[in-house]
Amino acid sequence: MYEAVHAHPDGESTAARFARTAARMGYEGVVVRARDATPDYEAIREASGIDVVDAVEIVAPDPERASGAVGGLRPDHTLLCVRGGTNRLNRFAVENERVDVLTRPMADEGDVNHVLVNRAAENGVRVEFDFGPVLRATGGERVQALRNLRKLRELVVDADAPFVVSANPASHLDLRAPRELIAVGEVVGFDPDTVRAGLREWGTLAERNRHRQSESFIGPGVERGRYEE
Amino acid sequence: MKHLPKHLRPRWRYLAVGLETWPDADLSRGAFQRAVWYAAGNLLGDAGSADADLRVLQFSFAGGTGEALVRVRRGEVGPARAALACVHEVDGHPVGLHVRGVSGTIRACEERYLGRRAGVPAERRVVFENDRRRGYDRDGNVDVAGPADFTGATELDLESEST
Repeated sequence: MYEAVHAHPDGESTAARFARTAARMGYEGVVVRARDATPDYEAIREASGIDVVDAVEIVAPDPERASGAVGGLRPDHTLLCVRGGTNRLNRFAVENERVDVLTRPMADEGDVNHVLVNRAAENGVRVEFDFGPVLRATGGERVQALRNLRKLRELVVDADAPFVVSANPASHLDLRAPRELIAVGEVVGFDPDTVRAGLREWGTLAERNRHRQSESFIGPGVERGRYEE
Repeated sequence: MKHLPKHLRPRWRYLAVGLETWPDADLSRGAFQRAVWYAAGNLLGDAGSADADLRVLQFSFAGGTGEALVRVRRGEVGPARAALACVHEVDGHPVGLHVRGVSGTIRACEERYLGRRAGVPAERRVVFENDRRRGYDRDGNVDVAGPADFTGATELDLESEST
């Protein structure tokens, strides 16, 4: 199971610290989603003993600027996420095959409906269930987050859309172990297997993209084999 | 009051909880207990919180790390785990929290999961992002003091001091 973290300077802990803490908690890997962080991934992998995935999360005010960032950053990173939060951004992300994950679709004024979720399913864009507010908000804010989470869950199940789960930790103190997230998910109405699948999905995505970016990959189903010339 | 016959006594499970904070935080048992009740009340509601009956039995904390032993009714370990995961702040200090394990007796819980004191962090000068800062080093994990707040780092992130 993987967790996608906001590493320094985006968050308050460095990628290496996240990896160490996550390894202790039983994660198989962390996805470092930060635009400015450029840690030495190989050294961190070796030091922590778990997988560290090079990812980027695009935070843009509108689709026009997000689009430019997607084109520019896609070749450099294993995983590419787009932060949602407005209807236009959500729509942009689910309609773009080059986007791997749409994060926080329901944050701020963002909303999602069956049309968007169906598009996400067609294009293979993972929709993120953000457990951050469930873990760290209180009162009305949390109630709202839970309501949105429920709506999103019902839509995703109906459309059979791919999804990921994350607690969106900004520091190593915000990290929670997979079993804890599964327990929280159960309390707020998620099936334990759903949360587990959502945490695994990060790893599956990373593996798929690494394979696609490897030299032997030419196109889906077309690969350079190991044959003598 | 006369104590209950054995078959009517509640059955308990004991959760070993590891705690972590920034090095400047100071937590007390009372504050942690309040935070646990608050989290349980908010997540599980009054009814669920009473069912789980979370109580902090043991608590030790020093220099940014600590551990606690939390009692919960048998059969409520899942909700208790969820409530504990929602403890993110104690007395205004952000807290990292991890359930190390669950046992049926206090003794087993102590022997298996508690007593791993990490020790008080060593304070030293470090170079982080081309800047000389104060660092609190524990076991390769270094919390670097910044102008406003701390940054969690490890030895890998520090640069060697060039004089």
